[in-house]
Amino acid sequence: MNKFLATMLQTIQNYTPPPVDNGSIWQHMSEALRQSLFRVLSLLIAVLPGILAIFVALTLFTIIGMVLSAALRRGLTFLKFDERLNKNRANADWTPSSSPTELVARVSFWGCALLGLIIGVSAFDASYATGAALPISMLPYLTHAVGAILLLIAGTLVARFLARSVLIGAVNAQLQYARFLSLGVKWLVLVLTAAMVLDHLQVGGHVVEIAFGILFGGIVLTLALAVGLGSRDLVSRSLESHVERTSDRAYPPQADAAPNPVEPIHHESIRHF
Amino acid sequence: MATANSIPDTRSTPAPPKTGLLVSIAAMPPEQVESVFAGLIASFPADDLVIATPNDIAGTSYPNLRVVSTQATNAVWPVAPADFSDAYRIARERDARAILMLGPGSNSLAPSALRDLANAVLTSHSDLATPNYTLPPNAGMVNSAILYPLTRALFASPVRFPLAIDLGLSVRMAERMASAAQRTIALNQNDAILWPTNEALVAGLKIDEVDVGGRMLPQPAEPNINAILTLVTGSLFAEVEARAAFWQRPRRLQPERPPRPESHQVGRDIDIVPMVEAFRLAFSNLREIWSLVLAPNSLLGLKRLSIVEPSDFRMPENLWARIVFDFLVAYRVRTINRGHLLGALIPLYLAWVAGHINVIASGTSPETHIEAVAAAFEVDKPYIVSRWRWPDRFNS
Repeated sequence: MNKFLATMLQTIQNYTPPPVDNGSIWQHMSEALRQSLFRVLSLLIAVLPGILAIFVALTLFTIIGMVLSAALRRGLTFLKFDERLNKNRANADWTPSSSPTELVARVSFWGCALLGLIIGVSAFDASYATGAALPISMLPYLTHAVGAILLLIAGTLVARFLARSVLIGAVNAQLQYARFLSLGVKWLVLVLTAAMVLDHLQVGGHVVEIAFGILFGGIVLTLALAVGLGSRDLVSRSLESHVERTSDRAYPPQADAAPNPVEPIHHESIRHF
Repeated sequence: MATANSIPDTRSTPAPPKTGLLVSIAAMPPEQVESVFAGLIASFPADDLVIATPNDIAGTSYPNLRVVSTQATNAVWPVAPADFSDAYRIARERDARAILMLGPGSNSLAPSALRDLANAVLTSHSDLATPNYTLPPNAGMVNSAILYPLTRALFASPVRFPLAIDLGLSVRMAERMASAAQRTIALNQNDAILWPTNEALVAGLKIDEVDVGGRMLPQPAEPNINAILTLVTGSLFAEVEARAAFWQRPRRLQPERPPRPESHQVGRDIDIVPMVEAFRLAFSNLREIWSLVLAPNSLLGLKRLSIVEPSDFRMPENLWARIVFDFLVAYRVRTINRGHLLGALIPLYLAWVAGHINVIASGTSPETHIEAVAAAFEVDKPYIVSRWRWPDRFNS
């Protein structure tokens, strides 16, 4: 131990600090700054045409989309496209919330805009690749952001559609907790959408997956408990009537071919038809 | 040079014997078929008849009847487009002068009703004979609430059952229905509902309404009232949309029809509380959706209605007319998804039914109330014409 301490003391006594070269520090700093500036400028020079390409492509294709959309709208209106289509598909199940002409015009416009965006992003991607020697961590998100925005829009639309469907269906089934059920479904889809968007953006990693699992499972469990406890009788009645209908259909050979006429009205009830 | 002979050689195939009446009978159980045959034999000479039916007649007591076998349709609505198409094809093959189409459960029609329906097109030079059923007051509610008032107001049609399942058709009317059926079949819409009355009105063909007495109306194959109401109402709304150019023109109202036969009064023991409760539940949950469709005045009317006691519950006729018209406009401009729209109409329809039951339980005859509803629709026709043209304006 004494030997070790003696060695340490000797080392400290023998230590001579290195000569301070002020000029060399500034030289290193300015060199580092110069290199950094060079890197950023090189990246900007490499990326600038790409950014410009995005704007040019987007603007050009948006203008083309506007012209095409206006032309289609006028042409289809002139050809009475809506009336003809409605005449031909009077009872179609798929009924969008806009007229067919408007839908075609909008699809053509947004198709052109999307095409412009894709072309611009791919041009940007190519120019970014040339300057990839100097990576900037934010840039990869730009390309993913387009997909994420589309996912978000689609998810929100699906959530709203499903929420309305569930609300109306539940009200017509006379479920007292119709609004709660509708909200549950809406948030289920929104949580799923948010998780998909974050996953697409590669944000959060495992945290998002775990949080999504917990939230999704929680909502499903809540809804299952609500339905299971709140409408136990309704579900059992529904299942019983389904089983009865199935067994009724199983016996008569022509039951499917001919709708069964109703029995004469013996009791006071409502007959809608 | 060989040329194709465009004129078919008809000498080799003997022409089938001329037929007076083709009777197209829908699929039904054997005992009902037997009963229909009995009614037909009692009303028409057997030589004058050709029966087109998918039913097996081997076991019946009428083996001498001329029967053409047809394919059974499995559509949701009892009369499918293929039935019209088949009926016209067979009528043309057999050179029939008229067609009598009988829906499921037509065994409950009296023989005289069959005779009157057929004679309306055979001898009275009408193109379409529609039955006027005498139903119990608690039956045919969708027809009374929506189908009849709406078609009467828009098409100026006096036909009480515009979607009847028993019809008398002249050959030219059958041809028109067959071509309409072919269009839907070509689009693979075998479940589509065709509207013979509107078809005849648009073509300017003559319509006769025949009182046929009581009838057991068949239950549609789809057991869910929500689905079938949506199907029928959606079909009528689509029909109205397709014929907008026709009904928007000012039309002369049909002359007053003699009073319709009254059905017996309904008892007071129908429980309307579940329907009123369904409406209240919908009012608290669907107000947001209704507000996209209905005019503010209508919403206010519904709010007032939601706090009325079941014993005093009654949907005012003009409010109901406005509601149906607003839903029709929303269907046209697609304010919301059409499936959602028609689903949101169901609780309002139930509210109308509850009110109707209350009205007739108070002593008013059902026909009087239904005529009052139809009159309210007629009075409000300028509203629908205006909103159809300028859908964004609520003329409340």
